[in-house]
Amino acid sequence: MNILELRGISKIYGQLSALSEIDLDVAQGEWLAIMGPSGSGKTTVMNIIGCLDKPSCGSVVLDGQELSALSADELTAIRRDKIGLIFQQFHLISYLTALENVMVAQYYHSLVDEKEALAALDRVGLADRAKHLPRQLSGGEQQRVCIARALINYPSIILADEPTGNLDEANERVVMDILHQLHREGSTIVVVTHAPEVAAHAERTVVLEYGKIARIVLGGDPSKAPEVGEACGAGA
Amino acid sequence: MIKKNNSFLLKILLSSIVRRRSRLMVALVGIAIGATVLLGMVTLCYDIPRQMSREFRSYGANMILVAAGRESLMMRADIENAAALLPPEKVLGLTPYRYETVRSNMLPYTAVGVDFAQVRKTSPYWHVTGQWPERDGEILIGADVAEFTRLVPGRGLTLEGRNKEQARYEKDVTVTGLLKTGGVEDGFIFMSLESMEEMTGEPGFVDVAEISVMASGRELRDLAEAVRSGQSRVEARLVKRVTQSEETVLGKLKTLVYLVTVIVLVLTMICVATTMMTVVMERRREIGLKKAIGAENRSIAREFLAEGLILGLLGGLLGSACGLLFAQVISANVFNRSVTVEFYLIPATVLVSALVTIIACLIPVRRAVDVEPALVLRGE
Amino acid sequence: MFWKMLNGALVRRKGKLVMIAFAVGLGVSLATAMLNVMFDVGDKVNQELKTYGANLTVVPRGASLMDELYSLEGDSAEPPRAEKYIAEADLHKIKMIFWAYNIVDFAPYLETAVKGGGQEISLVGTWFNKHLELPTGDEVDAGMNGLKTWWDIRGQGGDDADETGVLVGEALALRLGLGPGDSFPIESLDGQVGATVKIRGVFHSGGVEDEQIFAPLKLSQDLSGRPGLVQKVEVSALTTPENDLARRAAQDPGSLSRMEWDTWYCTAYISSIAYQIEEIIPGTRVKPVLQVAESEGAILEKTQLLMLLLTVLAMACSALAISNLVTANVMERSAEIGLLKALGATNSAISILMLTEILITAFIGGALGYFAGLGFAQLIGHGVFDSAVEVKGLVIPLTVVLVFLVTALGSLPAVRMLLRLRPTEVLHGR
Repeated sequence: MNILELRGISKIYGQLSALSEIDLDVAQGEWLAIMGPSGSGKTTVMNIIGCLDKPSCGSVVLDGQELSALSADELTAIRRDKIGLIFQQFHLISYLTALENVMVAQYYHSLVDEKEALAALDRVGLADRAKHLPRQLSGGEQQRVCIARALINYPSIILADEPTGNLDEANERVVMDILHQLHREGSTIVVVTHAPEVAAHAERTVVLEYGKIARIVLGGDPSKAPEVGEACGAGA
Repeated sequence: MIKKNNSFLLKILLSSIVRRRSRLMVALVGIAIGATVLLGMVTLCYDIPRQMSREFRSYGANMILVAAGRESLMMRADIENAAALLPPEKVLGLTPYRYETVRSNMLPYTAVGVDFAQVRKTSPYWHVTGQWPERDGEILIGADVAEFTRLVPGRGLTLEGRNKEQARYEKDVTVTGLLKTGGVEDGFIFMSLESMEEMTGEPGFVDVAEISVMASGRELRDLAEAVRSGQSRVEARLVKRVTQSEETVLGKLKTLVYLVTVIVLVLTMICVATTMMTVVMERRREIGLKKAIGAENRSIAREFLAEGLILGLLGGLLGSACGLLFAQVISANVFNRSVTVEFYLIPATVLVSALVTIIACLIPVRRAVDVEPALVLRGE
Repeated sequence: MFWKMLNGALVRRKGKLVMIAFAVGLGVSLATAMLNVMFDVGDKVNQELKTYGANLTVVPRGASLMDELYSLEGDSAEPPRAEKYIAEADLHKIKMIFWAYNIVDFAPYLETAVKGGGQEISLVGTWFNKHLELPTGDEVDAGMNGLKTWWDIRGQGGDDADETGVLVGEALALRLGLGPGDSFPIESLDGQVGATVKIRGVFHSGGVEDEQIFAPLKLSQDLSGRPGLVQKVEVSALTTPENDLARRAAQDPGSLSRMEWDTWYCTAYISSIAYQIEEIIPGTRVKPVLQVAESEGAILEKTQLLMLLLTVLAMACSALAISNLVTANVMERSAEIGLLKALGATNSAISILMLTEILITAFIGGALGYFAGLGFAQLIGHGVFDSAVEVKGLVIPLTVVLVFLVTALGSLPAVRMLLRLRPTEVLHGR
């Protein structure tokens, strides 16, 4: 069963066509990577999947719900319930502790539950840093707080934008380990990255070029890519 | 459970305030300045016309009491009865005058009996060289009389005349000082009412009484009417030259202070709003993030509203204290009096501060909220 | 590179800098308005205080006492003394003294007793609105209409062109049973001269004048047989509040040193104006009417002090508000500063860049604010005094200094705070 279906998605900024006619399915529990050089439309796809932006044309079905007809407020509600976002810049609120940053997501979603938030931090190995402010945490720790925040509302999809872009190798490993663990537990994960070694962790990689899907690769390494379309619908 | 959420909101707000101290200090100082100016200026605005009105009393009496009907003289008791109809805190001074024609060395003079303690209040412009009379038999002479008679302080003379029953009287008096006003007073001789009564042997008569009342315009007219209707032996008249002119000038001064206040207030409030906007603009990224993780516009606006409210209240309180000081400093320096505070202005100031702050917060928040979260997160 | 960065910041960060410029503009407009009004408020209020009437009386030397005594008691049995007068032909000289432009108005008076309606009435001859042509070529209007502004007149006001038109006091009119428009005969006490006068208006003054008739000067000169003479002149002059020097001079101008004397003579103190009138019309004594003169001084001083303090405090507040905003604005740029530091910028380089940027912005805002402030000042001038506020050039350097100090001092704490930032903290911590 597909958790996400994109059909004929195009996005046009003024004169510039960022995406044209993208079709993409993501299966429940799949780990998908979206790759491509700068300007290939990665971020645009990620914004559309993450309900941060709407396509100029085409349809998006998330968890059985058609999104293109929804208003901004309704999109916000979808985002709250179904999407967990992980950012390259972490985007933690500077004046709140790690624990409180996680709880903010709970707060906007429904109700705060400190125990649950603490459990989420424990899951990313940061239970002992719960009372620290972002500036007192290392980059890796901040990213783990960000992941804990993304997880806290049991989203349908975890969407990560260059999750290791600001991290060193050691921290990258820690973060990827956490994602693997989440995948094992059944989470659907979409990672947007330009780094092949990050994409390599995924089950399937979509490579974008000039706003189109250039090829889809099964397994992690896009450099050994066979042909476009061959792997279409794989993992369904 | 809802309670738990609310307490979390409170926690976020407190964290935002405590951990962003330096930035919020800036906002708080801005709001406090606004509130200071607001309360200070409005308090002064209330107080200045009152204080100025007091200053205008240096022009002398603005109400006189004369005998009603065909009588030319009043009894002192009548004046006291009439004056009792005026609110005592409004009466700065009341001077009874008794005029009498006397002779000295065969030359006629007008002698005036007054209450010297009171005349200093009703005619503060009297300029006396030498001493004010203190004892029976001491007199002030007008500057013109002094020039004409060559009398100087310390010299004595004899006054004589006839009273209403045509009985002759005589009194030896000593000049203690020269009076200069530039008006008719320069041609008169002044002694205390008691001395005059003792000299003429006629008790208690008064020609006219001057009152300096702390009021102007309609209020003064109403007071005069109250005296007129309260008793029938004495009539109250307004000294038109003083009251009319005071009304004109005081009116202008009031308008001046009001206009200045309005302009200062508008400018200060805009300044406060600008500061708040700058402080909030900084947090566009935070707003973007909150939207990305699913916050509704409404809840973001609510948080900023609450924060603005807290800041506005705190700043308003702080500013109120400074504002009172501000008004006090001006009042003490200009009028040598402490300012009268209208206490309901304090909560009003705090409220207005909170309101301005909230409005100033919501403008940039609205703009930030309208921005797509994607744009905010990607940027910088 | 410095200029490129500066230019980049000024042009591309328009939004943020517009805020600073806007705030400085507001502050400057406030300062400009308040300062201009403050400098001019003395003149304006002085002008308004003229509604209190004359502050100087001119009387013939040595004769000032008697008539006032007689008029009070009306003791006609007393033998008349040798009375002295001022020549009407000398009066225009009052407008030719050093402080001529400070003489707002003046009017002569000649009082005489006449018979009318079967009783003895006091008739005062005066100028109502006399047009004078001065030897200097100037033309002025002088007369009582401008001095007794508090009179309520029913009917028409006095007019010198109407030789038999008179104003009658309210109490007298009531006693005679006459009103505006009525005519009645009067004659001198000895019955030699008579005239029929027409009542132009009935006035209420609240003083002794309510029992008198005010007529053109010529009429009272004819009736009293004193052609070309007046008894006293009331003068209304704009004056500077008295100080020690003026008080000493009023006692005895001879006691001053040469320099003090020059200062006194060339300042519009009431005593120096009085002195100058005595100089130009010999044989007169000029007395300040203390009731008006002293009070004017007191109220002027209070008003000026009030405006001064309001100005200072309003400016202090706007200075604080501006520096506060500058602080807020500079703080916002911590990330940029961190980056510059990481790139190796020295503290002084950063400070100079930021200060220059803010100062340029502030001066642009200040220039605009100055003109807005002039607008506010005129708004106050026209709203309150119905006349324009004079624009003082002195305000410009004052505000420039103010802008410089406020923005420089206002950004200092913020800049110091930024300099303490460690680049790593800014770039990673966030």
